[in-house]
Amino acid sequence: MTTVLALFPELTDVNGDAQNALVLAKRASWAGLEMTVERLHLGERPAAKPIVIVLGSTTDPALPYLLGALAGIRDTLQDWIAGGVPVLAVGTGVEALSRSVLLPDGRRDGLGLVPAEASPLPARAAGDLVVRAAEGELVGYENHSRGLRLDPGVQPLGAVRRGVGDGQGTDGVRHGSVLGTRLHGPVLAKNPALADAILAAAVGHPVVVTGGAAAAADAAAARIRTALLASG
Amino acid sequence: MSSIRYAPAVILGRGVRLAARLRRAGGGSAVPGLVVNRVAPRFLGDVLSSFPEGLVVVSGSSGKSTTTKMLVEILEAHGKRIFTNPSTANISQGLTSALLERSSLTGRIDADLAVLEMDEGHGALLSGRFRAALVLLTNVMTDQIDRFHDAEKVQAMLGRIAARSTGSVVLNGDDALLGRLNPTAEVVRFGVTGEVLAQAPRGLGYAETSTARIDDGVLVTAVAGRDATIVVGGAALTVRLPARGIHYAVDAAGALAAAQRLLGTAFDAALATAALAAMEPVFGRGEIVRVQGQDVEFVLVQNPASFQLNVDELDERLDRVMVAMGSDVRDPSYFWPVDASRIGTAAIVSGSKADEIALQLVYQGVEVERIEPDLAVALDAFLALPTPAHGIKTIVFTADSMRRIRSHLGLS
Repeated sequence: MTTVLALFPELTDVNGDAQNALVLAKRASWAGLEMTVERLHLGERPAAKPIVIVLGSTTDPALPYLLGALAGIRDTLQDWIAGGVPVLAVGTGVEALSRSVLLPDGRRDGLGLVPAEASPLPARAAGDLVVRAAEGELVGYENHSRGLRLDPGVQPLGAVRRGVGDGQGTDGVRHGSVLGTRLHGPVLAKNPALADAILAAAVGHPVVVTGGAAAAADAAAARIRTALLASG
Repeated sequence: MSSIRYAPAVILGRGVRLAARLRRAGGGSAVPGLVVNRVAPRFLGDVLSSFPEGLVVVSGSSGKSTTTKMLVEILEAHGKRIFTNPSTANISQGLTSALLERSSLTGRIDADLAVLEMDEGHGALLSGRFRAALVLLTNVMTDQIDRFHDAEKVQAMLGRIAARSTGSVVLNGDDALLGRLNPTAEVVRFGVTGEVLAQAPRGLGYAETSTARIDDGVLVTAVAGRDATIVVGGAALTVRLPARGIHYAVDAAGALAAAQRLLGTAFDAALATAALAAMEPVFGRGEIVRVQGQDVEFVLVQNPASFQLNVDELDERLDRVMVAMGSDVRDPSYFWPVDASRIGTAAIVSGSKADEIALQLVYQGVEVERIEPDLAVALDAFLALPTPAHGIKTIVFTADSMRRIRSHLGLS
């Protein structure tokens, strides 16, 4: 049985980011693959190696708890990432994987699994975010107050076409098997191409979804994308 | 204190109101307030402090309107003359405009006390300008993320409002964040028993639920449909709720606790329960409306918590459900943690955010038969569908869609 693992959803589902695990499992089933969602709760140890991991964003007051929880599984997570298990990390989830996060009350150490640091943006970024990435134009919402400063040579997820992202014209990060973004909420439902690219990396071959539900979902996603791209 | 010095401001405010109405019928409700707040910045605070029996402020994330309405009904049944605000006017300008409507030229309003619903953000902003006889806090739910960002911030705002009470702070004892507030005024709690809490499989939606149930205050001991048993001062009252759902019983418990505190020995349980039973069913919150010869149930979704609670209370076998989400929801992402799979089949999904909510429904395994963003078209199509095989047609909607549907159907 293959699983998609959502890390600490009690902290990382504020904007529904953890639900990207459901999106992956559902698309896998539409592609004829069997995949179940596992949720790793605070204080638990992961049961088995997943084939893909989702780490959502949390609020600033809860960020220290998330950092603490992730520290408890750091070595396992590092092994999995080294082994190529794809990770989708959103917002403060990416920040937690970076070296450090600059909060109003001081700097906190991250897991150091992504060569970057998070520091405050000049102003809070909230609204539509469009990112031009290898997977196409990625659309969704952002709502955050920090940006990721990537180390030299580290690739962002893509270029910001609308919105703020991590500032300086880019959004997110691609580092090994980790994909990070400021696109919060059901980013994989709105961007099926990104979802299927992550799934393909997880299972080692291209995936093709079929059936009425998949068609309905992707048609809705396409309309959201078209309307957003046309409006700006 | 109110005084003659407000006469020019009141006259000016009324003049602006008249001008606004002449320009556009029914228009300009907040503008007069804006003008008066500019020329007489202390008007609002002074009028709020001028009621002989004081000011009652109702705030919290959810349930404010219902609780306010219930408390007003109970107090009026006891012969009190109440000034209250329509729930849409919960910002300072709107409130000032509403006060202008009723005040004498000296800024005095002919009422015994004011019972006002205040949004937590604006309530906290206004808090320096009033003293309250009683503050009633409903709950802290993780909603309106764009505006308030997180539960701790909401908790702090409610703390600032609670600090303005000179009499009592009536608060939801099942809400852990409210429980950690430490107001100087006496605290009166309301809540539910462990059995009632167990009836809500996912809890009551609070950002953090207290680990222990309260053993004092006003307690909801049973809820079945629209009937609840609420223990007030040792007496078990049978209460008819304006809509079904545990959260309405909790709202009633809060209103009863506040009324008992305000009325003291004059509190009459029979008057209170009669007042609650006489309330109109709350529109859009589980209300069944007769439309074009058929019964339609309206279910209002105000935030993720109420979405989850309402969906959990739907009959699982419903086969004619419409879901509408409007532009009042800027970013529907935060609804995704809500498990809406119980809806089963959605005949039509509508509203300006139709595609966004449809995506959620489809991924959660709900069969979406049609997506029609135009609400009027969708509504007509939904009403034209054959009678359901089970239950009645049910529309789950957000506030903006509710208003549009209401207006399309010619409902007041």
